[in-house]
Amino acid sequence: MKILMFTWEFPPLISGGLGMACYGMIKALLSQGIKIDLVLPTKEFVYFPMREPSDADTLPVVFVDQEKHSVYTKKTFSTLHERMDYIGITEQPESYFQLADIRRDSVALKREYWLSETVNLEERELWQEMTTNLIGDEDLIRKVQEYTLRAERLARTMDYDLIHAHDWLCYPAGMLARKIGQKPLIVHIHATEFDRAGGPGDERIHKIEHAGMTYADKVIAVSQYTAQMIMSRYRIDTAKIRIVHNAFSVPEDAVVSKERIFTGPVILFLGRITLQKGPDYFLEMAERVLAVHPEARFIMAGTGDMSRKLLRRSASLKLRNRFLFTGFLNRKQVERVLRASDIYVLPSVSEPFGISPLEAMAFGITSIISKQSGVAEVINHAFKIDFWDTDLWVETINHLIENPQKRVKMGIDGMHEVNRIQWDEAAEKIRLLYSGTLAEYIRQA
Amino acid sequence: MLNIVFYFQVHQPYRLKHYNVLDIASGSDMFDDPLNGLVMRKVAEKCYLPTNKLLLELIRQHEGRFKVSYSITGTAIEQFKLYSPETLDSFKALVDTGCVEIIGETYFHSLAFLYESNEFLDQVMMHRKLMKDEFGYDTVTFRNTELIFQDRLSDLVYEIEGFKTILTEGVDRILQWRSPLYAYKNYSKDINMLLKYYQLADDIAFRFSNRDWPEYPLTVDKFVNWIDHLTLSENKGRNQFLNLFMDYETFGEHQWAESGIFEFMRHFPAEVLKRPNLGFAMPRETAELANYQQESLSFPEPVSWADEQRDLSAWLENDMQHNAIETLYDLFEKIKARGDEKLLRTARLLSTSDHFYYMCAKYFQDGDVHKYFSPYDSPDQAYIYFINACAELEERLLR
Repeated sequence: MKILMFTWEFPPLISGGLGMACYGMIKALLSQGIKIDLVLPTKEFVYFPMREPSDADTLPVVFVDQEKHSVYTKKTFSTLHERMDYIGITEQPESYFQLADIRRDSVALKREYWLSETVNLEERELWQEMTTNLIGDEDLIRKVQEYTLRAERLARTMDYDLIHAHDWLCYPAGMLARKIGQKPLIVHIHATEFDRAGGPGDERIHKIEHAGMTYADKVIAVSQYTAQMIMSRYRIDTAKIRIVHNAFSVPEDAVVSKERIFTGPVILFLGRITLQKGPDYFLEMAERVLAVHPEARFIMAGTGDMSRKLLRRSASLKLRNRFLFTGFLNRKQVERVLRASDIYVLPSVSEPFGISPLEAMAFGITSIISKQSGVAEVINHAFKIDFWDTDLWVETINHLIENPQKRVKMGIDGMHEVNRIQWDEAAEKIRLLYSGTLAEYIRQA
Repeated sequence: MLNIVFYFQVHQPYRLKHYNVLDIASGSDMFDDPLNGLVMRKVAEKCYLPTNKLLLELIRQHEGRFKVSYSITGTAIEQFKLYSPETLDSFKALVDTGCVEIIGETYFHSLAFLYESNEFLDQVMMHRKLMKDEFGYDTVTFRNTELIFQDRLSDLVYEIEGFKTILTEGVDRILQWRSPLYAYKNYSKDINMLLKYYQLADDIAFRFSNRDWPEYPLTVDKFVNWIDHLTLSENKGRNQFLNLFMDYETFGEHQWAESGIFEFMRHFPAEVLKRPNLGFAMPRETAELANYQQESLSFPEPVSWADEQRDLSAWLENDMQHNAIETLYDLFEKIKARGDEKLLRTARLLSTSDHFYYMCAKYFQDGDVHKYFSPYDSPDQAYIYFINACAELEERLLR
């Protein structure tokens, strides 16, 4: 079975959990015999034909432009990194295709054409919803427009049995591919605009999410929490929704043993510094814990639109050199900071899943996670607290600082538990969903 | 008689590298040696060496009538030795002429005065010893980092034997109707004080190459005429002092050679000395030249020569700056209690005021000047690296 898969992140092009999830999922699907042609927002117009599990790491590339492809095949690269640079994907999020790369004259989708192609009123409404909301001058919207146009070309030229699109950025691409290729579409919800925005968010994105999910044949939600959200907020038909929890596999070359940076206990926040992730709650905890335990160190790892505000606020609280910022970390640096940490906290306001705590637990770090998260559904050996209950977070952190033996035991139990949550199981569910969806589609046609 | 008192500040900090959390406890160095070497060699080539050569020629040419003074920080002297020993030699040649005064300050160009009096006195004594060792010079004039001054400072400086004169900024809110052209006394009348005449000093230091300035281009003739006019109101035979204090890097670095700054300086002394009522003096000579009852001035709040506000806001305004400096001085106490010389040396290198200057986030005009001098992309970056360095320092204390 061959899947045309659209996603916005993949290692080394990562800025969050989506890339990590796609990597684990794709690798496991490949080992189960699924073939995947992966499309990413790369600078060059390429796709990644993946056939073997190792392809998830080596990333074989096909340039859509034949001339460019023959130039590429004649080139030799000394490292993977050098080759990725050539395609235009590196570990920095800024290496996504840039606006300068987008031809101005080609950004508009042929909206009228697509509306005239619709077969019934229902379909027409969905296309109307998608196309009218994919309009705007913001960088991200324009990047999605460009990505969608590329998808249109790929959908016409490639062979595939089924389409799998991750998150709203790729839904317009998935919709086009379904229409053009007359193949079933599965959309995968890693996060909704409600989660990301921590409030109402961007109306256009809600509309695109709604259109994508409604137009899809099946919808995968990463947790019960998310499934509830898409039923109640987007009114998606319950029969279409399947829950597939994410997993986490420790990279083969990772070293998980402790390597301290600080003598005192280290409490880690790891993720995008945005409202969704609750970084302001982390700062409040730090202030209160440090008043009792000045030997502790709080590390805020990651970047995001709240970084500056948090930095300034931590200074105004006079947290001295006890509240530290790492800035953007690549994979190796993430592993390094995990090895140096004792307590991991995820105070997300709304977290559809949350792979990062699984990763922390795989490193034997005692974890405290928000009850408002999908990951809380799959693990037992972690503390689960309402994101707003700062009193309890502070009490728990203090307790873990004061009882190192208990902390270590909890960490080890968590590590064992996470090691059992493998992608193979999740991929198995997805593979069965692929074949089921395909069978149903053929039967209908 | 109006005496022009030139005083030049020579300073280079040890800049921190982009020191991340993961660098802590890794054993890697905090300071950016390659960058520091690069900057020192560049500034030596563009400023120190050509300017020293020019001033030496002028001093010789005018046979004792042209005089200047310098304050050279300990961190600058150390980096001369590391990266540009010929610069240090050329300063020594200048001092040997007898027409150059060396001024005392803190060895590390720090803000210790505001936080730790004992550390401040230690750094002043270290600097004094260094000047003696390098130049055979006994300092008798004092200037605090960035001309920061407050009444309490004169008490501390007075405690140290030998200091007779202090330099600071001629701040309007202190002087009010008074003229910065007279020598004053501090509030307790113990120490002679000279105040920078910022309008004319800044014409050279900041506006010289500014084409939007109505007076552009500044010619020697024009500038000396302005100075001459200053003497018109004085007819009682009192000696006045026009204090032109500035960063030495003005010459060739802030004002590029192409701006004509060196030509300006080459012809300036001769034009001044043509006029019978104008001359040059060193700060150490001014107390005796002051042939009148010197009025005393009180500075209840700190002043400085930085930015339009001429206060501490360039280094100590926002929360980042306050948290950073308080973190450092908390550590000083612990390090001194431990008696670890290596750690103390690192803490002192971190006490250099430039680190806090880089964290300045004032937006208007002055922000640009801060940006020009900063090796980092933003005040936030400067803060992050500094706090990480302090975290490293504290870990070393615990190890």
